[in-house]
Amino acid sequence: MNAIILSAVWGVIMMFSSILFKNKGAFKYIAAIGLIVLTVANIANTYGCDFFNINTHEMLRYTRFGLFFNTIAFLCTLIYVLLSGKEIEKHGNYVAEYYALIFFVLCGVSILTSFNNLLMLFLGIEILSIPLYILTGSDKRNLKGNEAALKYFLMGSFSTGLMLMGIALIYGGTGSFQIDVVRSATLFGTFSGISFLEVAGLLFMLVAMAFKVSAAPFHFWTPDVYDGAPTVFTSFMATVVKAAAFIAFIKLFEVRIADTSAVINWGMLLSLLIIATLLIGNITAVFQQSVKRMLAYSSIAQAGFMLFAVFSLNDFAKEGLILYAVAYSLATIGSFAILAKMKDITFEGFNGLAKSHPVLAATNTIFLLSLAGIPLTAGFFAKYYMLASVVKTGHYLWLVILGVLFAAVSVYYYFRVIQAMYFKEGDAQAEDVTPGFKIGLIIVAALIILVGIYPQVVLNWLYF
Amino acid sequence: MSLMNILLNATEGNNAANYFPIGVQLIFAIGFIATMMIATHLLGPKRKTADKLENFASGIPTHGNARQPIAIKYFLVAILFVLFDVEVIFFYPYAVNFRALGWDGFWKVLMFVGFFVVGFTYIIKKGALTWED
Amino acid sequence: MNNLVYLIPLFPLAGFLINGLFRKSLNKPLIGIIGSGAILASFVVSLVLFFQVKSNGALPVEALFSFINVHDFKIDFAFQVDQLSSIFLLIITGIGFLIHVYSTSYMHDEPTEHFGRYFAYLNLFVFSMLLLVMGANFVIMFIGWEGVGLCSYLLIGFWFKNNNYNYAAKKAFVMNRIGDLGFLLAVFWLLAKVGTVNYHDVFTAESLAKLTPTDITAITLLLFVGAAGKSAQIPLYTWLPDAMAGPTPVSALIHAATMVTAGIYMIARSNVLYSLAHVTQNVIAIIGIATALLAATIALKQNDIKKVLAYSTVSQLGYMFLGLGVGAYTGAVFHVMTHAFFKALLFLGAGSVIHAAGGEQDIRKMGGLKKYMPYTHLTFLVGCIAIAGMPPFSGFFSKDEILAAAYARSPILWGLGVLGAAMTAFYMFRLYATTFLGSFRGTHDQEHHLHESPAAMTIPLVVLAFLSVIGGAVGVPEALHGHHELHHFLSPVLTTEVAPELGHSTEYGLMAVSVVLALAALLFALNKFSKKPELGEPTGFGKVLANKWYIDELYDAVIVNPLLKFADFLKNVVEKSGIDGIVNGVGRFVQYLSRQLRLLQSGQVGNYILFMVLSIVVLFLVFWNQAIILQFLQKVF
Repeated sequence: MNAIILSAVWGVIMMFSSILFKNKGAFKYIAAIGLIVLTVANIANTYGCDFFNINTHEMLRYTRFGLFFNTIAFLCTLIYVLLSGKEIEKHGNYVAEYYALIFFVLCGVSILTSFNNLLMLFLGIEILSIPLYILTGSDKRNLKGNEAALKYFLMGSFSTGLMLMGIALIYGGTGSFQIDVVRSATLFGTFSGISFLEVAGLLFMLVAMAFKVSAAPFHFWTPDVYDGAPTVFTSFMATVVKAAAFIAFIKLFEVRIADTSAVINWGMLLSLLIIATLLIGNITAVFQQSVKRMLAYSSIAQAGFMLFAVFSLNDFAKEGLILYAVAYSLATIGSFAILAKMKDITFEGFNGLAKSHPVLAATNTIFLLSLAGIPLTAGFFAKYYMLASVVKTGHYLWLVILGVLFAAVSVYYYFRVIQAMYFKEGDAQAEDVTPGFKIGLIIVAALIILVGIYPQVVLNWLYF
Repeated sequence: MSLMNILLNATEGNNAANYFPIGVQLIFAIGFIATMMIATHLLGPKRKTADKLENFASGIPTHGNARQPIAIKYFLVAILFVLFDVEVIFFYPYAVNFRALGWDGFWKVLMFVGFFVVGFTYIIKKGALTWED
Repeated sequence: MNNLVYLIPLFPLAGFLINGLFRKSLNKPLIGIIGSGAILASFVVSLVLFFQVKSNGALPVEALFSFINVHDFKIDFAFQVDQLSSIFLLIITGIGFLIHVYSTSYMHDEPTEHFGRYFAYLNLFVFSMLLLVMGANFVIMFIGWEGVGLCSYLLIGFWFKNNNYNYAAKKAFVMNRIGDLGFLLAVFWLLAKVGTVNYHDVFTAESLAKLTPTDITAITLLLFVGAAGKSAQIPLYTWLPDAMAGPTPVSALIHAATMVTAGIYMIARSNVLYSLAHVTQNVIAIIGIATALLAATIALKQNDIKKVLAYSTVSQLGYMFLGLGVGAYTGAVFHVMTHAFFKALLFLGAGSVIHAAGGEQDIRKMGGLKKYMPYTHLTFLVGCIAIAGMPPFSGFFSKDEILAAAYARSPILWGLGVLGAAMTAFYMFRLYATTFLGSFRGTHDQEHHLHESPAAMTIPLVVLAFLSVIGGAVGVPEALHGHHELHHFLSPVLTTEVAPELGHSTEYGLMAVSVVLALAALLFALNKFSKKPELGEPTGFGKVLANKWYIDELYDAVIVNPLLKFADFLKNVVEKSGIDGIVNGVGRFVQYLSRQLRLLQSGQVGNYILFMVLSIVVLFLVFWNQAIILQFLQKVF
């Protein structure tokens, strides 16, 4: 409960700080303090110290897994705020409000990691999404941003509708919103014991969640929104938010997909989604001319990899998802932070960055290598755990092979950026790169390599 | 085949059978509307003139496009009104159960009012309600 | 006390590291002192060890560390100093030191950086060569073997700005690699059959019992392929004459005195194996004598001072292999030693001449140098006499020992050997006469430039000349009332040596014939070329000889060009349209797919939602019919 309440309260504090402080630079530090408070409170909660003991009638249930993800999300946001705080300040006069919205998003994240009831899931998804619609359109004078926000809102509403429809059908089928009850009612394995309404409801939920994590063929909003939104906010959306959606996804389907019988087998459906996501994400990214749009498609591709966790749902998958969340968030935050500083965000814009800004080029290379899953970076172990989880299920080995092939394709477009930075002539220009920013990037890159060499440094926290 | 099966199973299984009347009603409703529309279309007299395609504005001649920019303040005030209006609605059930909920309910409503006031303070301070710049 | 063993290779390694890493900050005298001093230190240690070995017998094997250790397969990085290796240590470090000293003067015109590089390479070479002879097993020998090959490559291509030199270096390296492959296969074969590569373990009756005659023949032949590569025997000899592209002291050290004798060392080291393989012995003897004769004929018509010496080296190496082939291992090692003295002397003398003539190597443009460079002239003459096999110079004893052993095996081999010896005398004195006698035939500028070389160059010459004269003393045969001390010294290692059972009178006869024939050839050459030193354009058969029997052209036509054609085919056809086609095809397909898939992203929310709805319908259909789909899939696959 600590995380949920404190994040909401700190959001309000951020709102009021806009009235109290006139200096734009101050908000970044208030937000950072808030994130540290949140992290500490959440860690306290993890080890049994809940400041707000409220009876939620089992609508929320705190698990080690969920709380640990909260910690990761808060820390990633902290890194994000410290790295990209300057960029947020550039977007208009409502800096404090942007931070407030980010805190509200984190509130949604905290609910999604602990929900035990479909209504809470819905609430979490909405609390998560609505601030994002606003952040997408935060650059009011940018037509592209406005378009993106409107699209995001329209399609988000559509998926919300689907989700509500699904929840209603499940309620119709089982008579409860509690996911425990939902689970127990369907553990039959044959059609005779299962309710049509419930299965239909679950399918709608699957579609809605697939939309939130931008799995194909429900990914259409992603490139347009990620491309149109201000780069800083894209960075946040593509990392913390997406990972949280995955946590919710895996929580919702945790027991569900394990029941594979001859008749009902979610594996087939999910493998279809995975293939479509990997295909569209990776293949379409190849042709993009703008690095930002390429990263948008790459985030779809990464989602395809994270879907493996939902597909296999074992210990490996859960550990892997945590690791993936860390690896992917760090690399993407870093990569977008550099992108936000670039004058020209096409591939040509990166030409010769190694000469003009060697630190940026070097750290960006590490981020991209991690995204591509090259060994000695965190991304390698993340992908490894994902694939290993599928191998552990014993079936669907071809899915693993497909995953590896698409990972190979992904190397192409990530390396295009590296090639542009190191091997092409040009004068890439980056704006106001401060020493602090460089140090931040180096720290993030070092973390990626640390996790890439010793992934247990993250995973051990799941158990101790 | 299996789709058929599941429908069969659903009806003979648990409470999904209860939805059968709703389904019938749905079909009836759609059928009724469709029938009426087709019937009016077929039976009613038709007279096609250009005037019928004009916008009807209470008999007053139209002038210009309706999509004129209006100051954002109208929308702001309207939306804030709706927001607070909806929040006020929560007072009605509380008022009805005022005695039953006792002090416990009082503190909770007080907290709600607190949030309410905080939001109100915020919009006042941000100048959302100042009409003149 | 035996820790001294480690010091021997350590000094040159240290010298290499210092000169290599700090070549830009050191000055030339310092580089020279470090480079030469390292070898001198090694020489002193070698001398100490030599006397230890002489009085107490072979030193125990010293294992530095465990090099490869897998399960029950273990190879130590171990050094072994016994009679055979101590002789080689003295030759390598002793002559190495003289050549280092010589080089400090010879290479003086190089920029400091390259001067340092030169000495670093030279020290590295000595280090590798020491590893080669000190290693206590075939693997360490192979490490040294490759190391000297590398250094040879680096030093031949020392003046890397000249592309021809680079080609020569490449040729040497490739030819050596062909031989190395044989060596490597032999080592693998040995490992597979015996399970160990330590000399001590391999050359025991127990290990040899594990080998069939076929194994032994194959292993020895493969080892010989390695030796033929390194020691420039037919068919892998063509690199050595080209290797003269390197600086002359390098030719003296690597391509005359030490590295090229590695093959002889290796076979002498494995004499236990070779004496069991008669086929291989015959092959070695035949290839040895053939090489000796072929190279000698080519040397008759060469006009480049270094080329003559190079072919002479190939020819002398042939003699050594002849000795190995007929079982005269001591004779071969003896000849390695004496040859190291007089050939190093000749090369250094040639270097001195080239130095004086301002880089000129063509003997047609020399002549009359006798009066300009007395020391060089005198020492060179000593070298020529020694190589021609005139008693009592060192070459006489070693060569005659080999020839005597050859006679014991087959008089034909002896006859051919004597013919070769006569040719040797002829071409050496042709070289001597055209270079030092008569009058100078170069340009006026060159003549003006002629001078005796500085002391740093002449002193090594004098020392080597002295050694060339008396070097034979250690192997005076009993027929001449000597004791042949070398033979006694080496006998613990060269256990399978067969002493030719010839009566003293036969030996006298053989010596007399070869000496008389050589003397005749010598005098004929001296007479012919001191009167008429101008060498005309070769005609007829001479042209074939001058063109080295067209062997290089033959290799080009038979091996190199077909290989190049095949490589061209692979490159242009197989790779371009085959492999590249597939790889690029996949790439192009992905790009094409990308372009098509991109069109899905139309930007219209309506379209998006339509797609999503359609997808939902499809998902529902798939989900409810998955049993049927699975059945269908199972039928299809």
